[in-house]
Amino acid sequence: MELQWPLILFTTLVAWSAGLFGTQALLAAGGHAKRSQLPAWVASAALLAVGGVAVFFHLEHWERIFNGFGHLSSGITQELVAIVVLAVVAIAYLAAMRRSDDGATAPKWLCWAAVAACAVLVAAMAHSYTMAARPAWDSALWILYVLGNACVLGPCTMALVMAVRGDDLAPAGLPALVGAALAAVTAIAFAAFLQASGGSFAEVGYYFDPTHPTAGMADAASAVAAQAPLLWIGAVAVGGILPLAAALMGRRSGNWKLWGAAAIACALAGAVCLRVVFYELGLSVFMFY
Amino acid sequence: MTQYAIVTDLDRCVGCLACSVACKVVNGVPTGSFWNKTLRIGPNPKEGGSGQWPDVELYFLNVGCQHCAEPECVKVCPTEASHIAADGTVQIDKSKCIGCQFCAMACPYGVRYLNEDEGVVEKCTLCEQKIAQGELPQCVSQCCGMARWFGDAEGDVREFRGPRGETAGEFLEEFSDEQVHKLPDVGNKPSFAYILRDMKWQGGE
Repeated sequence: MELQWPLILFTTLVAWSAGLFGTQALLAAGGHAKRSQLPAWVASAALLAVGGVAVFFHLEHWERIFNGFGHLSSGITQELVAIVVLAVVAIAYLAAMRRSDDGATAPKWLCWAAVAACAVLVAAMAHSYTMAARPAWDSALWILYVLGNACVLGPCTMALVMAVRGDDLAPAGLPALVGAALAAVTAIAFAAFLQASGGSFAEVGYYFDPTHPTAGMADAASAVAAQAPLLWIGAVAVGGILPLAAALMGRRSGNWKLWGAAAIACALAGAVCLRVVFYELGLSVFMFY
Repeated sequence: MTQYAIVTDLDRCVGCLACSVACKVVNGVPTGSFWNKTLRIGPNPKEGGSGQWPDVELYFLNVGCQHCAEPECVKVCPTEASHIAADGTVQIDKSKCIGCQFCAMACPYGVRYLNEDEGVVEKCTLCEQKIAQGELPQCVSQCCGMARWFGDAEGDVREFRGPRGETAGEFLEEFSDEQVHKLPDVGNKPSFAYILRDMKWQGGE
């Protein structure tokens, strides 16, 4: 189907936002990254807000959004519920931080609640795209991939913020490295699934659409083949392997200003590449209409 | 429970596109969009044949909303704009539609589209304005091959009605239940059916 840029931005920015908030809460649970807590919270909120604005551009009639909104079997409704839950947790987290003696401490239970809310939001958002009608989308690997986005973008951004704010960088290294490794593995796994999806569509042999006589006939195998360079070079090599290498270099050198920024840039580029492939291969199981 | 649907005898369809054209005229479907389309499936080689003409077969397949019994488009709609009406058909309340197009993504047949002038999703309504008054959908009444038949899929397709008042069982050549096919079902349970007797049904069910 056509590229849905508002949704590409939304899913990328929400993964980034949730990953960042989850990472800051994870570090706060261990008593780390005190100076970076508030800037990270603001950055996470800003990313979520920009993502929210982006997704409104996808809606043709956003003014009707509460006109019966709330059908619980809808992935969009589930996403909205998860966002509201995350917003409540985030506001409680901010309030707890501001009321603490050092201005940067939240109760451990709230930190873990924040991590859980972030994971649930990312999973719910990704789950809304898993549809039997689109074989290339219908996999738990897609959900894991988007969680992987959060796992690399969040910790690397947190490491960058900590480097800028002058926090002790030692606690940031392991989450960034593990997150980048998870992101690389999930990117490879989902890319392999997408590559194999060409055989999941209905075949009718030779066919012709008299109402669109000049349009090319649908061919899943060639559609998949055409996306292979963007998938394997853009999404996997740039979006998965390079951030892992950058995280490794960041942990080894401690220069998170450089390697954190590099990992974020590569992971973002890869996330957008994969979403482009995602939509290009998002063909109906019966794709001849 | 009623489940209105159309059954098409593909052995009678001549691919004249009268159904597609009649639908556009009656329902004001925008240029470039369709509520139903007639695809030519084939010519494909006959099983066991030489692979060359005349050992080939071809049929025309009219595709539109299948008014599924368990429609994914309804499940994913956040505002319940897409809903199942009392007659079993899947309808869109345009005043509730926010144009998110998740229903279009969730349709296994790709028959929904965004009406860019109105900013809402559209598809075949099974001519609800006509069937509510006991009339036939326009694509059925206009079918010059007498291939399309309308009725309640909860009952026997042989009881479906055609434009001259006969039933499918009275008018059509005999067919077995094995010769009644459906488009690929990914859990949505399409209610439309297709009769194909002597050719190989393509595309799975």
